[in-house]
Amino acid sequence: MKRLFIMLGLVLLSGCSLRVLDPKTSTGQDQANLIYLSFGIMMVVLVVVFVLFALFVTKYRETESNQNVIPEDSAGDRRLEITWTVIPVILLTILAIPTVQITYDLASTDAESEETVHIDVVAEQFNWNFNYENGKATENEVIIPKGQEVVFHLESADVVHSFWIPQLSGKTDVIPGEELVQSFTPQETGTYQGKCAEFCGSLHAVMRFETKVVEQDEFEDWLDNE
Amino acid sequence: MQLPLVGDIPSDVIAAWVLSAVMGVVLFIFVMKKRKWPLIWEYMTTTHHRKIGTMYILVSIIFFFRAGMDALFIRMQLAVPNNDFWVFQGDKYNEVFTTHGTMMIFFVAMPFLIGLMNVAVPLQIGANDLAFPYLNAVSFWLFLAGGLIFNMSFFMNAAPNAGWTAYTPLSTDGFTSGPNNNYYIFGLQVSGLGTIMTAINMIVTIMRLRAPGLKMTRMPLFSWSTLITSLLILVAFPVLTTALFLLTFDRYYGTSFFVDDPVYYQHLFWIFGHPEVYILILPAFGIFSDVISNFAKKRVFGYTSMVIAIAIIGLLGFMVWAHHMFTVGLGAMANTFFAITTMMIAVPTGIKVFNWLFTIRRGVMRVTTPMLFSLGFIPTFVMGGVTGVMLAVAAADYQYHDSYFVVAHFHYTMVGGTILGVFAGIYYWYPKMTGKLLDEKLGKWHFWLFVIGFHLTFLPQHFAGLNGMPRRVFTYTTEDNVFGFNVISTAGAFLMGISMLFVIWNIYKTHKKTDNVGPDPWKGRTLEWTVASPAPEHPFEPMPKVTSIDPYWYGKKDNRELEVAESPRPSPIAVKTAQPILLAGTLMVLSIGFVYHWIWMQVMAGAGALLFLIWRFFTDERIEAYRKEEER
Amino acid sequence: MSQSTSEALFKDKRLGFFLYLGVEATMFATLFATYIIYTPAPEGPAPESVYEARTVILASIFLLSSSGTLLVAESGLKDWTLWKIWTGIGITFLFGAIFMGLEVHEFYKYAHEGYTIGANNFLGSFYVLVGLHASHVLFGLCWMSLLMVQLKKNAIPRALFIEKHKIFNYYWHFVDVIWVLIIIIVYTPFLI
Ligand code: HEM
Ligand SMILES: [Cu+2]
Ligand SMILES: [Cu+2]
Repeated sequence: MKRLFIMLGLVLLSGCSLRVLDPKTSTGQDQANLIYLSFGIMMVVLVVVFVLFALFVTKYRETESNQNVIPEDSAGDRRLEITWTVIPVILLTILAIPTVQITYDLASTDAESEETVHIDVVAEQFNWNFNYENGKATENEVIIPKGQEVVFHLESADVVHSFWIPQLSGKTDVIPGEELVQSFTPQETGTYQGKCAEFCGSLHAVMRFETKVVEQDEFEDWLDNE
Repeated sequence: MQLPLVGDIPSDVIAAWVLSAVMGVVLFIFVMKKRKWPLIWEYMTTTHHRKIGTMYILVSIIFFFRAGMDALFIRMQLAVPNNDFWVFQGDKYNEVFTTHGTMMIFFVAMPFLIGLMNVAVPLQIGANDLAFPYLNAVSFWLFLAGGLIFNMSFFMNAAPNAGWTAYTPLSTDGFTSGPNNNYYIFGLQVSGLGTIMTAINMIVTIMRLRAPGLKMTRMPLFSWSTLITSLLILVAFPVLTTALFLLTFDRYYGTSFFVDDPVYYQHLFWIFGHPEVYILILPAFGIFSDVISNFAKKRVFGYTSMVIAIAIIGLLGFMVWAHHMFTVGLGAMANTFFAITTMMIAVPTGIKVFNWLFTIRRGVMRVTTPMLFSLGFIPTFVMGGVTGVMLAVAAADYQYHDSYFVVAHFHYTMVGGTILGVFAGIYYWYPKMTGKLLDEKLGKWHFWLFVIGFHLTFLPQHFAGLNGMPRRVFTYTTEDNVFGFNVISTAGAFLMGISMLFVIWNIYKTHKKTDNVGPDPWKGRTLEWTVASPAPEHPFEPMPKVTSIDPYWYGKKDNRELEVAESPRPSPIAVKTAQPILLAGTLMVLSIGFVYHWIWMQVMAGAGALLFLIWRFFTDERIEAYRKEEER
Repeated sequence: MSQSTSEALFKDKRLGFFLYLGVEATMFATLFATYIIYTPAPEGPAPESVYEARTVILASIFLLSSSGTLLVAESGLKDWTLWKIWTGIGITFLFGAIFMGLEVHEFYKYAHEGYTIGANNFLGSFYVLVGLHASHVLFGLCWMSLLMVQLKKNAIPRALFIEKHKIFNYYWHFVDVIWVLIIIIVYTPFLI
């Protein structure tokens, strides 16, 4: 129990700085919200079980006095059993509705405007290549504008990889022979870690990239110059 | 170190050779000195379920230590940022987590459970042996052969390195061309064959060899869970076999099924893989049900719903596989479908948890070591269960997927569920295997160190995952901000390692110091406690007649002996034969022929295997039995 | 004894063997799925140009009727009419062997025309599926020869022979059912 509290304390201290829970896009925010919601509901379950457990384990022990007592059998209790079937169903329904909603939301790519930035991403063992529409290319570093929808077109040159920028959005796998897309609109400037999240061979661990979110005009400048 | 033929040998492999050689010599001297050869020969040729079960468990313990060593290497390498521990970076690290995961699942958790089934199921249902004793021996030796093939890879400096899932195209010859992943394929195929045979054996035993009066509705829950698990095996394993078969064609014969369509491989793998995790957990559920009821001195609460829950979990287990594939772009429809089916599994699981709790309620609970493990299981497993529900939320899983959050989750279920269950089962049925009772005090030390170490190891990993640490990485940077979580995790892992030393000490002490116990050391409820410890061959002669659930308990309570059944059905036939071990050896040679593309060896061993089948055909133990019957 | 040893053990074995056939069925089901997914392939040889109706029909006639001839043997078991058993097994063996010959011929011919296993995924899945079936037939032939040896030498008790024969029956009929599915799923869509 004690160690549990210590750990929980640790979370509270560092909770808001955990990357996944500190998102900088609405996509990431949706996902974080789902995480909080599911965590909340599950905490209810956890607390109920822990309390009952603690209660029963302390109360129904064998002692000197009841050593020879044979407790009365109970084969079951219809009402109780229905209770702990129905309540979980309700809790899960509460969770399932936003799950379905957000999963559909995230799957539909927004109505794209002229301004939308399209970037072709080619993953290869163990590098990320980014190609912009105007032919500009970067390696292991991608620069995107704040407040503008960005669509990544993901392709693999060899094995399966997975495209992940924890603070911006969840993963999308990068599969040879198939193009998946990921899109989001970054809301804050800054530098964010990008990682390969599907095991892809020897140097999977260091197959990373940097995501720099910059102001729009800065982005235009960068794209046209250099 | 450079060697001719093999090339550059890394120091960990050399260390393993030296260590194994030393241990081999020590073992040899021990066996010589104590004159144990007859005993070893006896076990090598036995078809008795208890002895085979004991061997399963013994081998699993050894493999557990091996895979545990892998885990410690992983944790050492990850203890601090930018670490360079020994050789475990890059491919070496990939090998070590691949062997860790594969060993733990196929050569530790499964055989542990199968071992316990072997020991306990026939005794629980009043069967004098498994339905097919000869086949049972074949199963065991196939499992061991598979395990040896898999382990050999490391000694040949060619351990598999594509993860326990062996995703394509990484695992095809275009990207990992050496023998490494061949070892994976053939190790799993050979042991998988054994597993399938065991499942068949268990089902037939349970369906046909129950004692008179032991209706299905009176069957102990461990036997029930064995039955359903075996059914899951029958459907799930052939899919794995086929997937690996197709992968073999990709690697060997120029097809490109999974190069062109990697997602299809993932489908096949998880159609097997998800039921597999229920194959691992359901028997543990059964063990806990029996243990908790035994030590709370009450019959299990809600027996019927317990059985239905197992069955529903087993059924739903086949409808959730794509929750491992939320990020491969199956579309919102498929993702939500699999999200919801996955959440549904939580309901029957929850029912079981509450039924266990209410079995304890109003009981008189004796906290012995097996009970302690069962009690530790409840909160631990529930923690793994709730993170499971969190993972089912498809859109949120885009974040969790393939991160340390997942690593934490499945260890909570597999260590907190399966392994704790196995420990409970071993302490509980140890008298039936060996006749002795393990030391309670050391058992409790084992429990506390293990469970504390466990939570220390895996609780922080949730947060590491949420902070963006992917799984299967050999290093991380200081800026990643996951050092704190990882260092605690490493400390916890060593605590678990230490706890396992208590097991060895316990076994040593128990066998050195104590005498055999009687048939019923735990004041048991079910039939296994009516027979001597260790369980003799053909223990149910005369055959008891069962008139209720927990028949032994209610018999004791009313001070009556179990009735004797008249004219029970004939028992399975025991034999003493070296054929199974030789057959498994031949298949091992065959596999090695394949691993290294030595066609002459494939042909010879293949022919050898066929000859064994012919030999078996002509030496069937039924010949004699049926002839006797004819003469009568 | 309520039940004779041979009776009880036979029932055990039969249940076990049915379960085993379930395992086989799952494997074949997976391979059928694989075939359906990959056929026709976007590139390379198309099934229409590969398959040849004549061999398939001939092979089918022999294999399917071998299930019938095996029934003759089975009817001989009941009252132990040796000639029936011998003719039944003998003809079944012969038909099975002819089927094997035709299969080998078919594979050989395709391969010679350049339709090899690596040509594309359609051919890959075709060879794996039909090849696995053929190897089952081959295994069945070996099994039958062993049965015949045992019958000839009168080496085993009659009850055991009947048991082994029955189990073999199930196997052979199963292999036949798979062949019917192969005709329906693998060949027919591309031969009509
Ligand atoms: C006994 C203490 C254990 C420790 C300290 C431990 C530690 C670890 C760690 C750190 C990883 C992550 C490797 C990575 O992603 O880089 C891992 C992976 C894994 N572990 Fe364990 N583990 C333990 C026991 C078990 C048990 C009992 C099982 C199964 C019954 C198991 C099954 C797995 C599996 C399947 C993987 C995934 C391997 C892969 O990614 O291919 N582990 N373990
Ligand atoms: Cu990667
Ligand atoms: Cu799953």
